[in-house]
Amino acid sequence: MRTGAAIVGLLIAVALLSLVWTPHDPAAIDVAVRLAPASAAHWLGTDQLGRDVAAMLMAGARVSLGVSIAAIGGALLIGIPIGLLAAARGGWTDALLMRSADMLFAFPALLIAVLLAATLGPGAGNAALAIGLFNVPVFARVTRGAARSLWQRDFIAAARLAGRGPLAISAAHILPNILGTIAVQATIQLSLALIAEAGLSYVGLGVQPPAPSWGRMLEEGQTLLGIAPRLAILPGLAILIAVLGFSLLGDGLRDRLERR
Amino acid sequence: MARRVIRDLIRLALAGLAVLIACAAPAATLRVAIPLEPLILDPTAGAAIAIDEVTYHSIFEGLTTLAADGGVHPLLATGWTVSVDGLRYDFRLRPGVRFHDGEPFDAHAVVFSLLRAIAPGSTNAQRDALANIAGVEALGPLDVRVTLKTPDADFLRLLSYGDAVIVPPQAHDLATWPVGTGPFRFAGWRRGSSVTLVRNPAYWGAPAYVSAVSFRFIADPNAAFAAMRAHDIDLFLDYPAPETLGQLRADPSLRIISAPSESEVILAFNQRRPALADIRVRRAIAMALDRRAIIAGAMYGYGTPIGSHFPPQSPDYLDLTALSPHDPAAARALLAQAGHAHDLAFTLDLPPSAYARRSGEIVAAELGAIGINVTIRTLDWARWLDQVLKRHDFDLTIVNHAEPFDYDIYRRPDYYFGYRSARFDTLLASLKHTTDPAQRHALLQQVQRVLAEDAANGFLFQMPRLGVEDARLHGAWINTPNQAIDLAQAELAGGAGEGDRALSPATRLPGIVLAACLTAGLGWLIYALGWRFVLRRLTVLLLTLLAASVLIFALLQIVPGDPALAMMGPDASPAAVAALHDQLGLGGFATARYGHWLGGMLRGDFGTSYAYRVPVGPILAERLALSLPLALLATLLSILIGVPAGVLAARQRGSWLDRGIGAVAKVGIAVPSFWLALLLILLFAVRLGCFAAGGFPGWDAGIGAGLKALVLPIVALGLPQAAILARVMRAALLDQLGEEHLRAARARGLSRDAALWRHAFPNALGPVLTVLGLQIPFLVAGAAIIEAIFFLPGLGRLTIQAIGQRDLIMVQGAAMLFVTITVVSSFAIDIAQAARDPRLRDAR
Repeated sequence: MRTGAAIVGLLIAVALLSLVWTPHDPAAIDVAVRLAPASAAHWLGTDQLGRDVAAMLMAGARVSLGVSIAAIGGALLIGIPIGLLAAARGGWTDALLMRSADMLFAFPALLIAVLLAATLGPGAGNAALAIGLFNVPVFARVTRGAARSLWQRDFIAAARLAGRGPLAISAAHILPNILGTIAVQATIQLSLALIAEAGLSYVGLGVQPPAPSWGRMLEEGQTLLGIAPRLAILPGLAILIAVLGFSLLGDGLRDRLERR
Repeated sequence: MARRVIRDLIRLALAGLAVLIACAAPAATLRVAIPLEPLILDPTAGAAIAIDEVTYHSIFEGLTTLAADGGVHPLLATGWTVSVDGLRYDFRLRPGVRFHDGEPFDAHAVVFSLLRAIAPGSTNAQRDALANIAGVEALGPLDVRVTLKTPDADFLRLLSYGDAVIVPPQAHDLATWPVGTGPFRFAGWRRGSSVTLVRNPAYWGAPAYVSAVSFRFIADPNAAFAAMRAHDIDLFLDYPAPETLGQLRADPSLRIISAPSESEVILAFNQRRPALADIRVRRAIAMALDRRAIIAGAMYGYGTPIGSHFPPQSPDYLDLTALSPHDPAAARALLAQAGHAHDLAFTLDLPPSAYARRSGEIVAAELGAIGINVTIRTLDWARWLDQVLKRHDFDLTIVNHAEPFDYDIYRRPDYYFGYRSARFDTLLASLKHTTDPAQRHALLQQVQRVLAEDAANGFLFQMPRLGVEDARLHGAWINTPNQAIDLAQAELAGGAGEGDRALSPATRLPGIVLAACLTAGLGWLIYALGWRFVLRRLTVLLLTLLAASVLIFALLQIVPGDPALAMMGPDASPAAVAALHDQLGLGGFATARYGHWLGGMLRGDFGTSYAYRVPVGPILAERLALSLPLALLATLLSILIGVPAGVLAARQRGSWLDRGIGAVAKVGIAVPSFWLALLLILLFAVRLGCFAAGGFPGWDAGIGAGLKALVLPIVALGLPQAAILARVMRAALLDQLGEEHLRAARARGLSRDAALWRHAFPNALGPVLTVLGLQIPFLVAGAAIIEAIFFLPGLGRLTIQAIGQRDLIMVQGAAMLFVTITVVSSFAIDIAQAARDPRLRDAR
């Protein structure tokens, strides 16, 4: 938990720092010094166009976190109301909403992302859209599951007897009580979103150059494995650490929640 | 008597000669790789260069051909006479030539071929140019007269294009089964991976040395590099990874080729945009470009700077790079003069090729240096063709113009960059009517000068024909003036290459056996679980599939990009694209097309691929034969590692072993599988060399060889899943061990192991099965990136490729297959859960 929080905190700090300072301009191309090994001037060396790898990794953190958080935030905004509605109404509404969610699960995420990119063009926004789309049913389900068990509880029955409608009860009593569960799930989904963002960038559907991205750095470093393996290893390591940070944080949050 | 002896001696000598020839020409397959796969194999029905690369000179021949210097030489015509007014061409045809199907080549075939090319509904890419033909008539069995509408100095050269080859009148499916007169016959095509040609023993000229040619299609730089390292390819043309040539040069058994080509890479200006219509802005941009840096950065030094739209090796070439020297200060001054010192912002649309992407990043930086703000947008080819080429919706783009003598695109008012110049049009008109070589030379140099002075586009570099070949390969002519690859004289000294391998017949599921198994299985399920449960589940399954089919079809209707345009490419005439649009059945109402598609699927017919023009079903089946085993084996690996690890951790809860497994699993889940794949390649392929870095030989190469190619992908896919499974297994076991009845049993003296194995384990399988049910479909579809890294011909890669080609019917079929796999595996898991736990049968 503490490790997770520390890693996540560090990531956010680096991402924020990259807004105001990086050791070099991450987009500055200097073909003369390309593929230079690590040195005092370039802490992690330069890539195939002579860009500073350390600066690109820092700026990449901003992109990865930004896209993932936007995607999960959007999915929360849509998924939670759907889940609350399904739990409150039950019956046909519930069945229809949950079968639609199942349906979305049946579609391969990558395929939808590629289609989306073909339709709207690739870019950070559309990557977030694609990742968010697949997290809507996740949050709808988690919300519905947690909410449904609450609906059986006495204090909810009391609220119903007091004449409050299902939507009002959902907002006033159900939602505050399930926020913890949702927060845990959101942290875990964030870690998955980071991998998804990297994957989309790897296939060229993420943020567009010259904005750096870990996934694209990985892809561009691949043919250079034989001469500069660090170009593929370093961004992968960055992804690994970020994902690990969020999943540790999520696990810790869950343990704490369960202990209560 | 003496006669008979002589005859026998001659026979003996001939036999000996045959043996000698057989020895000199080993029975080997020459493996040639090019980046792009042709979608059809008829050069008279499409514009893609890949069609010519595979078929022209090898399968098909035309009346004329071009020599290395660009001069026109006879091929299927032995000679010709031109009337004084330049309107009548009388060709004398080569006698004794036969098509591969045994039919004779004669005047009838020539008349048929040329009229077919200009017929209404023809999808010939040069249809507009060939439309200058007024008539074709046979004067005799081997004499043909072609009459033109207007004199054309380039007509004989036009006849040397792949678009004007002679095809047999009786062949009707040349797109999928090409039949010509060339030194190789078509033998087979495995969509998405290879085309095989075999030597034509009845060729009219000198027979080919190699007995067969196998064309492979590898566009991915990583896969290309991997294939060359593994010596899987004897000749790789248009090698897409110049960054790896330095590494390959160290291998003495390989040779690097960098030949001149007809390809000019340009930064195209959309001159319909007011800012770019201003010549000062265009010239400023041209002076902002540092060609040396672009060639060094994007092409790793392979390329020649150009100052106009003309290849440097041509005798008519004029070096005009000095007209637009790299001078940011002067460029800024020009911009200020034009009143655009700081306010210019352009989009730069890049097609997917690596040269364009890398050049684009450098160009964007260089334009930034003179105060122009550039936003890069990367597009797939279909979108590039639709948005840039067809709708002219762009500011700047970088693209390679590979056609020879293509300066006439600057005269086309409807062309994508929209350059207009009366001076240029006059020049081209006089060029069209000039036959005198000296005058033509002067005119061609003027053409180049006008384009450079007008900064008609940003001229970046000549793309070399980069290749890597086996050092023993001789006689392959790769930089023919019209983009063909001439392999008639190619040979591999000392043999080798690859032994001939039979092509596998299309994978076909024995339908009756399958149906019988399904019926029997269903019967058993109904018997065992009760018909209500099974029926309810089945209904849900079928309804889901139906809803999915509607959704998939609807989704694909809104994807922009015309499949017909994506098939035909940038050089096709609009009339040809429209004709193909109708042929593919793309007109009409969407509902009717949906009904047709659904009806076909119910009969097991997934439709005909727009791109390949063959049924979709067998292609999907062939890909599934790779993706399904890959997913299942990765799942098996994850079970073999994950389940024991989870059990061990639960059994010794809290021990160092538990904590160790927990830590490894946490990291394992966080590892992106594509990164793991790269690390595996680095370790096992690059450093240790014990596995190939990619490629799949096909199951017909033997189960062992196939499995070996899948080892690294299976590990890369399976390990992260094993980590998930281990955690689920451990958590489920601990849940069970914590249950009241088990605690009670333990209290009565049940051993820990007995409690674990006999009671907890069977119940803990529930959550594990649920995870597995999600895993298999995830791995079938989600393996796309892994398939791309290891260059495996799987379903995921096929789907992404099909989306890029706008082969929408293929995408529909593949998507239906994915959804079916997901739904069926969740059905199977439900059934398995119900069989395991009867309580679930009544649960909703």
